[in-house]
Amino acid sequence: METEGVQRTVPVCSLCTEQAVVYQRYINRHLCGTHFTADVEHRVADTIKTRQMISPQDRVAVALSGGKDSTALLLLLQRLLPTWENVRLIAITIDEGIAGYREETIRSAEHLTVRLGIEHHCISFTGLFGDSLDAFLTGRETQACSICGILRKKALVVGAQQAGATKLATGHNLDDEAQSVLMNVFRGDLPRLIRNSSGESSGKFIPRIKPLSLISEKDIATYLMLNDAWNELPECPYTHYAMRREVRSMLSGFEYRHPGTMLHLMESKIKIERYCKGSVISEPLRSCRECGDPCSGDLCQVCLLRHTF
Amino acid sequence: MKLILSDQDIRIFEHSPAPLDQILLEQSINPLEVIVSRNGKLLPEDTVIRGSDEVRITRIAHGG
Repeated sequence: METEGVQRTVPVCSLCTEQAVVYQRYINRHLCGTHFTADVEHRVADTIKTRQMISPQDRVAVALSGGKDSTALLLLLQRLLPTWENVRLIAITIDEGIAGYREETIRSAEHLTVRLGIEHHCISFTGLFGDSLDAFLTGRETQACSICGILRKKALVVGAQQAGATKLATGHNLDDEAQSVLMNVFRGDLPRLIRNSSGESSGKFIPRIKPLSLISEKDIATYLMLNDAWNELPECPYTHYAMRREVRSMLSGFEYRHPGTMLHLMESKIKIERYCKGSVISEPLRSCRECGDPCSGDLCQVCLLRHTF
Repeated sequence: MKLILSDQDIRIFEHSPAPLDQILLEQSINPLEVIVSRNGKLLPEDTVIRGSDEVRITRIAHGG
């Protein structure tokens, strides 16, 4: 129990008289635990509704690594489930084969799905591609995140197809999405910047949705702590090779000094997408000449990668 | 003032009462990359921390 003197140092919720647990700097608002939880759930529901991410009868496969973002995603979707008509959730976990790291997050994913009573599928790189990520990365560790990203995306699609999913939901948060916008700009990759795999696919691929794309990483962690779902998990041993790590640190500093920067980046991306719709910059969807998967070039990323192994 | 970053990293120092974000920045910690609690209760980053306070800092950003 805090003393009276200490209590006075903590701001009060802007919506009630409870002690605040967060300060939302970009709108200058304090919220208590109850109002913050309701605010996050409202914002996620609003993103899903506004962007028409989930439709009646959908079978939504949730990419569940067991880390904080995917854990929050599954919890939030489970809570919002009664608001949708006949929608089902399935969880899919990918075991890339990263020794000393993935075992713990997979256990966390298993516990969560058992607790929530959600069907759970696990796909391993070894089962799908013949070897672990650790083995594929020998001598090329600096490419870890791009290689893992390509193979993990393919594994998730296979898992979603096997589970009969109509949507594939991932836990990308606002920080991830804003970082991706900047990274694509830094690389001069406009086609990737405006690529959208969430909409109408004419049956060529399972649409991917990102319900947490407007929720910051800090808000996600706070939501988990307030709802007794926070787990201290190890950091992926390959992250220090990633360009994303540098961009994350830079952008996080900008966001602190200029609140709203990440949301503004996302607004810019959406505007650019609108302006470029139907233009020559938008790459038409093609089929990989080796495996037939949808892609933007002659070969898909997985087949291109396989040739380098 | 006692900042607990982990079992291996506990920082104890003298400080006059100050907003939490100022103290974090002085320790080269971006307030957006951590969550801070006192006696198990989460604290907004503009909470005033006093010299006798003990706060726990949890880093949130990691890949995976």
